[in-house]
Amino acid sequence: MASIQLGEGEKTFIIHGICKDDLRSDGRTCLSYRNFELECGVVSNTSGSARLKLSNTQVLVGVKAEMGPPNPLNPSRGGIEFFVDFSANASPKFAGRGGDELAAEISNMLGLVYKNKKMLDYKSLCVIAGQCVWTLYADIVVLECGGNLLDAIALAVKAALYNTRIPLVTVHKDMDGTEDIDVSSNPHDFVTLDTKNLPVLVTVTTVGSGHIVDATLEEEACSMACIVAAVNKEGAIDGMVKKGSGSLTIDSIYKMLTSAKQIGKDLNKSLDDFLSKKGSDMSSKGFLT
Amino acid sequence: MPTDTKRIQGPDASQSTFLYKKRANTVQPALLEEGKRQDGRSPLEIRPIFLKAGAVSQAKGSCYMEMKNTKVICAVYGPREVPRRDGFVINGQLRCEFKFATFASEVRHGHLTSHTEKDLALQVQQALEPAVCLHKIPKSQVDIFITVLENDGSVLSAAITCASIAVANAGIEMYDLVIGSSLRQTGETLLLDPTAFDETAESESTDDTQAIVTVGFLPSLKQVSCSVQQGQLQCEDSIKALQQCIDVCERYYQVVYECLKKSVKKLKSPVESPMDEAPAS
Repeated sequence: MASIQLGEGEKTFIIHGICKDDLRSDGRTCLSYRNFELECGVVSNTSGSARLKLSNTQVLVGVKAEMGPPNPLNPSRGGIEFFVDFSANASPKFAGRGGDELAAEISNMLGLVYKNKKMLDYKSLCVIAGQCVWTLYADIVVLECGGNLLDAIALAVKAALYNTRIPLVTVHKDMDGTEDIDVSSNPHDFVTLDTKNLPVLVTVTTVGSGHIVDATLEEEACSMACIVAAVNKEGAIDGMVKKGSGSLTIDSIYKMLTSAKQIGKDLNKSLDDFLSKKGSDMSSKGFLT
Repeated sequence: MPTDTKRIQGPDASQSTFLYKKRANTVQPALLEEGKRQDGRSPLEIRPIFLKAGAVSQAKGSCYMEMKNTKVICAVYGPREVPRRDGFVINGQLRCEFKFATFASEVRHGHLTSHTEKDLALQVQQALEPAVCLHKIPKSQVDIFITVLENDGSVLSAAITCASIAVANAGIEMYDLVIGSSLRQTGETLLLDPTAFDETAESESTDDTQAIVTVGFLPSLKQVSCSVQQGQLQCEDSIKALQQCIDVCERYYQVVYECLKKSVKKLKSPVESPMDEAPAS
């Protein structure tokens, strides 16, 4: 991550607060999440988009649906691909190819979670089996990089996918048997994706002997290891990776996963509530109106 | 897609015939009727392993590992000076490179490092970092090169074990070895040390959970340094799978230990190093 330098004293202060008093520098307890700001349908040229601001972290996700030949291994299944782009606005470190390594790490994590067939109805993304399927390109731009980037990105991706409208296409056979694809000219003919199974990522960071969720940059600097778990709305774990250069005991992994499960369920619930109200919004106007 | 212009490329859009092979309409079950796997093992049986430390003569340390058809070779160079452009870090650093030989899997791998390979490299690196005494090699870096010669499942776990032996073989101080192991869960069935077939085999009912769990474990410190879960599991099942993997790691430990002991003895044997004899005579 775009790490910051902390003195030993500052680190000790943060660690003591978390281990002894269940209190963090911004007044939260170890397992409380910050409020975030979410907006759907912010970019008009995409099939679906979302912007999420979690304190100092800000990400923008645009989903574009495109048609193309399928992967020969799964001829009747569409797919989703993730591309993460670190804007140099977030930190001068990301200029040029600076953010590439971190970007690959994040898109791999999302890819690992979305590879599961249960996530999205990939079969419904098939137009003509073996010839033409929908591929969703989820492009993530990191505008500001505070702490807890992965969680923020996963939330925004889920929101953007909820917001996605795929144009309705019909396939009809010509006289000579060739299949023709017809895209509906009515902009109101579209299909939406079923996002009810999509998980959110919860990063549980170990600090000293305790663990916290939704870490700030300062807290991330005090930590050696964290667990990133994908949790769906029922609380099942859809994927898990340990990150960082520290090691953990199995007991602490269990405790961290249990916390992740609870937090993930709550997060999913509040996100779903929001999305069912405002998720299909397409008419974001910017500051001019 | 960037291409390496110095190598002869195949046709632009060529694909392996494997991808077009007609697949049976019914999914093949992970377990045969007698409760055996496709390769004849029972679900909780692991493949025999072969380990050889010091397989690459020029490297500071190296190891070759074989788990039936999964073959991994690893070489370690260094510690050496960190190139200036990488910035200053007081502790030592591990730099890991993971590469599938182009012919390692059923589908051909490219010459350039892919995203998956970079990700696996990072996993191995993070699995080893807690085990190496990085403060003992300040301002320097250790290069770890892992090549998968043949891929028949459980590649990450093999790479972790292999790399940790190679680092130990290079004489770099470590707190502990790191042993990797993995399992595949399909519904209620656990398959230890899955082959490539076991990893991709689909269960008949779509409601079944299907997940692959890989663990890197430090056996004497009893710490987990790598843990990756792909696919869906309930929280408790996930922990059970982790525990199961750890038990397997402990079974591997004795073999790994013997392998290292043998490589050290070889170093001390008089035939290999006649210099040792000189003071005695």
